[in-house]
Amino acid sequence: MSSRTLPAPSAPVSPDGRERPLVALDDVSVAFQTRTGLFRMGEVRAVNGVSLAIARAETLGLVGESGSGKTTVGRVSLRLIEPASGRVFFDGIDITKTPEHDLGWLRKRAQIVFQDPFSSLNPYMRVIDLVEEPLVIDGVHGKAERWDRARRALEDVDLVPAGRWATRYPTAMSGGQRQRVGIARALVRDPDYIVADEPVSMIDASSRIEILQLLRGLQTGRGVAFLYITHDIASARHFADRIAVMYQGSLVEVGASGQVIDQPLHPYTRSLIAAVPEPDPANRFRRRAVGGVAQAAGEIVHPDCPHGPDRANEPALLLPFTSDPAHLVACHVEAPHGR
Amino acid sequence: MARGGQTRMPLLEVRDLHLDYQAGDRVVHAVDGVSFTIARRGEALGIVGESGSGKSSLANALIRLLPKNAIRYDGAILLDGRDLMALSDEAFRREIRWRRMAMVFQGAMNVLNPVLKIGDQIAEPMLLDERLNKRQARAKVESLLERVGLGREFYGRYPHELSGGQKQRVVIATALALDPDLLILDEPTSALDVSVQAQIMNLLKDLKADPGISMIFITHDIGLASDLCDEIAVAYAGEFVETGPADRILVAPRHPYTALLLASLPRLHGDRPPSPMPGEPPDPTHLPEGCRFHPRCPWRFAPCLRHPPEIPVEGGGFARCWLNDPAVAGDRFGAPLLVAAATP
Repeated sequence: MSSRTLPAPSAPVSPDGRERPLVALDDVSVAFQTRTGLFRMGEVRAVNGVSLAIARAETLGLVGESGSGKTTVGRVSLRLIEPASGRVFFDGIDITKTPEHDLGWLRKRAQIVFQDPFSSLNPYMRVIDLVEEPLVIDGVHGKAERWDRARRALEDVDLVPAGRWATRYPTAMSGGQRQRVGIARALVRDPDYIVADEPVSMIDASSRIEILQLLRGLQTGRGVAFLYITHDIASARHFADRIAVMYQGSLVEVGASGQVIDQPLHPYTRSLIAAVPEPDPANRFRRRAVGGVAQAAGEIVHPDCPHGPDRANEPALLLPFTSDPAHLVACHVEAPHGR
Repeated sequence: MARGGQTRMPLLEVRDLHLDYQAGDRVVHAVDGVSFTIARRGEALGIVGESGSGKSSLANALIRLLPKNAIRYDGAILLDGRDLMALSDEAFRREIRWRRMAMVFQGAMNVLNPVLKIGDQIAEPMLLDERLNKRQARAKVESLLERVGLGREFYGRYPHELSGGQKQRVVIATALALDPDLLILDEPTSALDVSVQAQIMNLLKDLKADPGISMIFITHDIGLASDLCDEIAVAYAGEFVETGPADRILVAPRHPYTALLLASLPRLHGDRPPSPMPGEPPDPTHLPEGCRFHPRCPWRFAPCLRHPPEIPVEGGGFARCWLNDPAVAGDRFGAPLLVAAATP
């Protein structure tokens, strides 16, 4: 495949009227091989026909349960895995089939921050070695230049004075401080795009906000685009421009963060919102309606769907909601203009 | 159940509980003079705090599972009026632990025995207890499996066949094996995602209502605690800095740390951005003089250099903050603790 084709002009979930998206997935599916017996192999479709686009300096919150395929979407957008079908674009360049040895440029421009800062940092390395490691791999040989860039990255994540943090070991640091080191490691290459996969779920509730604010600051200050993968839809409201909700490998709803939460259209989005324990006296002691029974591939009907399973076998598409074309939902009943 | 039928006597009363650890040549006051009561059956107390606040140590102190470096363990723990501190370790093990007070440990779902059927794992405390024979134990395990929403067909399954939420239900069933009156839960949902967490919380709400199990629910998430608990205690640096009915604490916190904890939660509705908690938790071997929170506190004033007592507050409970003492606070007394909105 040629390495310089433009993205599909009608990527169905691209934000309206903006310039070419930085990251675009067009009808991407990902399948994993599984063993079902000693010799038999099966196939699991982790992602099923997902299309989405992330603009420069935008944060897209990708929300869903464990097993919904949200981490796989993040990884395919970085081309850490190859999709079974569909196309992946970065800055207009089709990277769907590009072999790894031709992706060096992408490995500098796109980064990942992992969920677990306790296991993703080598405990035998000092902070400075951890942050400089990507530069060593990139062949930045000048010691002064490496230190200069590492110091800037440490300052950008508020580990100041950088000189004092540089010689510490992650084992002597709190979860929040370790995650800052993880973010500095991603930043030291000056990326345009960062996949943050549950970056705060292992951190105390009271320390999460400063990490999320830090990421928000990198987005607005340095113009980094983020895919913020989380199961915490309340945090996505405050730290993402748009929210995309995933269920069973497919997107079921996409829209502006406030709108998806204040006017959720898909029954699954509603049940995710109902599951959040808000610290509000009026909300206490309520039994929460929660679903999540496994469905056959291709059916996007939540067990609690009030519209019933009768249309379950129709293909699920993200369709625009009547009053707001940027708010899309994969629900036949809620998007009457769609078909 | 017939136990605990006395009126007026609280189910559990803890007074001035201390647990100190030796850490190198220093002493950590992990539980430093904590007092509280669980007044009646089916009442849940939420203990909320950051890592290192002593909330897990408190759980270990209640159920008397102490690490080797514990150098001080005293105070009063009264269960139905009976002082548990007077019991020998052997009597505590035989009569109290698991039979009256059971615990769901943090991460317990990850340490289920992989080569043992889950039914046999749940039956283990019953067989050790020697009151039930194997057949009776099996029948009881099956009813417990149904009680926690799994169904009796799960008896013969192995842990690897279960999802995280199902494993946590197994752990809860194991804790219920000997019909305890009090369940201590240490971060029971922290590894689970929101929907599974909601299912486990639904189960706990059911168990609290019927058979009326009392609970101590330990978490770092005050929102989650308020979802289940009648009373909330906020732990900081080994002490309770605020206690009270959840309804009061959510709307009118009287300790700055509680107000900041609430302000740090991202709210689902409304666009007010959450505010970060200032500063870092203190070094447990070098606690600040006076109020332990004062170095991080936006409201601190001169009196904070003295250690505040438990000062009763309107609406129930207490706050360990001088702002609640009119004689000390002067015109600062009673002002609402408004946290400035963070700049977006």
